[in-house]
Amino acid sequence: MGEAGSLISRAQNFSCEGDGAVVRVSDFRKLYGKKLAVSGVTLDIQKGMIHGLIGPDGAGKSTLMKAIAGVLSYDAGEVEVFGVPVVSEQSAERVKPHIGFMPQGLGLNLYPDLSVEENIDFFARLRLVPAHDLAARKQRLLAITRLEKFRDRAMKNLSGGMKQKLGLVCTLIHQPALIILDEPTTGVDPVSRRDFWTILADLLKEGNVTALISTAYMDEASRFNQISMLYQGQVMASGKPESILALIPGSTVRLRAIPQIQAVARLGAEFSQVDPFGDELRVFVEDGSGEAAIQRVRELLTGIEVSEITASEPDLDNVFLELLLRREQSQGRSAPLPSGAPPELETERSIAIEARGLVRDFGKFRAVDNASFRVPQGEIFGLLGANGAGKTTVIKMLTGILQPTDGEGWVAGANLHSVGRGIKEHIGYMSQAFSLYRDLSVRENIRLYAGIYGLSRREMKARAEWIIAMADLSGRETELAGRLPMGLVQRLALGCALVHRPRILFLDEPTSGVDPLGRQRFWDILFQLSREERVAILITTHYMSEAERCDHLALMSAGKVIADGSPAELKAAVEKAAGKTLEIRTDRPVATLEQLLEKGFEDAALFGNKVHLLSSKPEADEQSVRTILSGAGIETHSIRTQPLSMEDVFIYRVTQVEKQQLARQEEATQ
Amino acid sequence: MKLERVTAIIVKESQEIVRDRLFFSLAFLVPTVLMMLFGFGLSFDVEHIPFVLVDRDNSSLSREYSHKFISSRYFDLQGYAKNENELDSLLITNRIRAVIVIPEHFETDLLAGRPAHLQTLIDGTFPFRARTTIGYVTAINAAATMEVLATFLSQRQGIPLQDAARSLQPVRLDVRYLYNQSLKSIWSLAPKLLMVILMISPPFLTALGIVRERERGSIYNIYSSTVTRGEFVVGKLLPYVGISILNGLVLWILATRLYGTPFKGSMLFFLFALTLYVVCTAGIGLVVSVFVHTQTAAMIATVIITVIPAVLYSGVLIPIASLTRGSQVIAHLLPAMYFTNIVLGCFLKGVGFEALRNDILILAGYACSLFTAGYLFFNKRPSE
Repeated sequence: MGEAGSLISRAQNFSCEGDGAVVRVSDFRKLYGKKLAVSGVTLDIQKGMIHGLIGPDGAGKSTLMKAIAGVLSYDAGEVEVFGVPVVSEQSAERVKPHIGFMPQGLGLNLYPDLSVEENIDFFARLRLVPAHDLAARKQRLLAITRLEKFRDRAMKNLSGGMKQKLGLVCTLIHQPALIILDEPTTGVDPVSRRDFWTILADLLKEGNVTALISTAYMDEASRFNQISMLYQGQVMASGKPESILALIPGSTVRLRAIPQIQAVARLGAEFSQVDPFGDELRVFVEDGSGEAAIQRVRELLTGIEVSEITASEPDLDNVFLELLLRREQSQGRSAPLPSGAPPELETERSIAIEARGLVRDFGKFRAVDNASFRVPQGEIFGLLGANGAGKTTVIKMLTGILQPTDGEGWVAGANLHSVGRGIKEHIGYMSQAFSLYRDLSVRENIRLYAGIYGLSRREMKARAEWIIAMADLSGRETELAGRLPMGLVQRLALGCALVHRPRILFLDEPTSGVDPLGRQRFWDILFQLSREERVAILITTHYMSEAERCDHLALMSAGKVIADGSPAELKAAVEKAAGKTLEIRTDRPVATLEQLLEKGFEDAALFGNKVHLLSSKPEADEQSVRTILSGAGIETHSIRTQPLSMEDVFIYRVTQVEKQQLARQEEATQ
Repeated sequence: MKLERVTAIIVKESQEIVRDRLFFSLAFLVPTVLMMLFGFGLSFDVEHIPFVLVDRDNSSLSREYSHKFISSRYFDLQGYAKNENELDSLLITNRIRAVIVIPEHFETDLLAGRPAHLQTLIDGTFPFRARTTIGYVTAINAAATMEVLATFLSQRQGIPLQDAARSLQPVRLDVRYLYNQSLKSIWSLAPKLLMVILMISPPFLTALGIVRERERGSIYNIYSSTVTRGEFVVGKLLPYVGISILNGLVLWILATRLYGTPFKGSMLFFLFALTLYVVCTAGIGLVVSVFVHTQTAAMIATVIITVIPAVLYSGVLIPIASLTRGSQVIAHLLPAMYFTNIVLGCFLKGVGFEALRNDILILAGYACSLFTAGYLFFNKRPSE
């Protein structure tokens, strides 16, 4: 007890000093059994920083966070929190009063049968928060997170976004000096995600609290003051987002090229990152400033029709991928897809999938509400939405697994109501869980799927060769599927879904948790399938950045399709209605945000050290922002307009729908 | 140990149990249902054995002899058969379980002083029942033989029948059954069922309760806070101990009211022993929970660890003294046997602490070691 007492005063002293590292990790190493999970990680987290750990599943983020929170032992290295070395259960107990830890999994550390308030009270009592402090803090935190109305609602009846906010409240209730949040935004809808970051920035703006937050979304990197990129248990890069960008200078060239497939082939021979985003191509050109980069790309594409070519700064995705590629010392692109079926002669752009007013009810709950769209042969069609938006239910109806409650649908020309099993010969389906048998080997899995679809022995042999080549699995045919790395498992599952050469492919969140390299390869395969074999692909995802790779997108929210179009069209429409993003850098970001909110820029939000706001008149707004800030004595470093992201589009659409509903409700009550 | 944190855990745990319908019924319904199922379904009394007679002699003496079986409450005559071929189908379809064949010349042989051979066929698929049936057949046959002999003697020597019978049986056996005068098996079964059910249910609930938190990830709230191991263990287990004591009382009511088992001991002593036993078995759940990571594993592990000793090594089916040497050693190493002594003592014998002191002390030792083990193995900073 005496020890703990002295620590509290030490922590307070520490916070008075106001400088130095809150967390120091050096040469950290952790094994699970014989498997090395993290090795040689060194990390410093300064006081008041929001430090991000970015990396795919299995990169070691959770391991590192748990060790810092003192809830996991490690094998070598040093972990120091508030100057106390965390080496044993006893020493960990000494720092725990000042740490708030939220483990991974949306709301999984909360108690589903307890109400919002009971959950908070339980955490407070575990932490011995005095009653009067608790009342005041609860009031404030519930107000900020807008959970007040739901005090008595059982946690299991909250939406994903609300669960996440409740988790945050419970983690903060004892006013920790260090908060550790493990993937707090995974699987949450974009609106709640943005809301979450706003709330967090608001709570942490005094700068007394240090935060360590992990994420699998690269596009959240700009939310952090400092980031560490993790991959396979090692830190690939660490520092401010800007300085990481500066590690690999270059530019991203965007262009449209016809024929696209030839352009990809030519550029792919030269550059490591050539990614088709619908009609658009994005090429990462190293060591080239904008104009020079465009010039190099043009030279390579002589004879191909090129239009709308622009160059911009690369994003962190490009840098991270480049770092990984260098590390792997691989050739970058996977070998070209072995050619499968010669494209059948068919009417150009025949419709592969059509949904007309599909509805599905589960009891009183309407999971899918009047969904309509069409997917032509050869197109990659994306269904974008948060967990619970109804994406999987749509796929299950189209694949004949679920009967629609109402509406019509045609898949490969067959009506959903009249044909059940018949559809299945024409479609391939890869479910969220990758649907492989983990205890079967690669070859046994392929054989099983070939058997299910009734392939002859000769066909099966040919397809197995094709799948193994496509998925880069040669040499690993006898390994168990459960032992393969995520990226390979994913490609094997894709191969099994393609074993009977379907003309239509359904992919339900195929890239969740897969590392960027694996994702890039996966998309290469999809691109070739759609362009060369003209397979129609319907894919669902909650990665906003990934959605832009589709030819056509339908945004889903609460069971409804709220917008539908190509990524470029969707963006253009929102840009026309709401404007572009202004990114403002100043010497005091928090004060800047407060000033702008006060002066009527309602959607201003803090992104790490920057403030973002949507503006329909960028020039005029830039002027007024400069005037406001200089009036408040804040020094403006830069103001730039930025293109809209898919997340901006999604959030704008969802809020528009919500506003309309609200207006309609008000009308109805009047 | 901070009382506030312990109560926080107790309150949270109780709220969860009460509101989770599945868990609630696991906690409160299952023990009662088990007691009913086994109480009515598992009877060791062998009565009304269906049987068929084959009387080849068809004499007055053979009829007199068969009547001994027909009038017994242990046998139910299903009819007469002409030959043995008819019997197979009856035996196979379980319509009869025994056959008694009286041979030809039964009467003439006996009257001539030659021994007669009686054949009995008994369904041996359930050895316990078969053995009991043989016992009945032997006893009835002995009584009948005695009568025949007595009649023969009285006629030869001209003495009254009673005297003849008395002289044939110089030692008479007088049996008085103690503690369970009418030898009703449910009287001894009901208290033993209470022991079995409280051996299974508390560790099951406790292990599930702890592993559920680990599986979901809410255990990290405990790991990452300043709750001590002791506070967690006590706070987490008390609700389950409480539930199990309540269940114990419900089972006690069922045993005494529904099955009419007499309760001759002290209620206070019984409550004390019950609490101790339940703490002990909940401790088994605590130890199991340390080693498993999923609820499924927890269920399988507790069932294996608890059901086998509770049924095989506790004296429910076979008295400890009749077990093999090795099995006896195992029985003595497990807690079930000691609580069997206690419940039988409390219900049927009416003995208290004096007679059962050793059993109580051993259970207490058990509880202490299980909790120490659980406490030592539970780690707030595990390696995975």
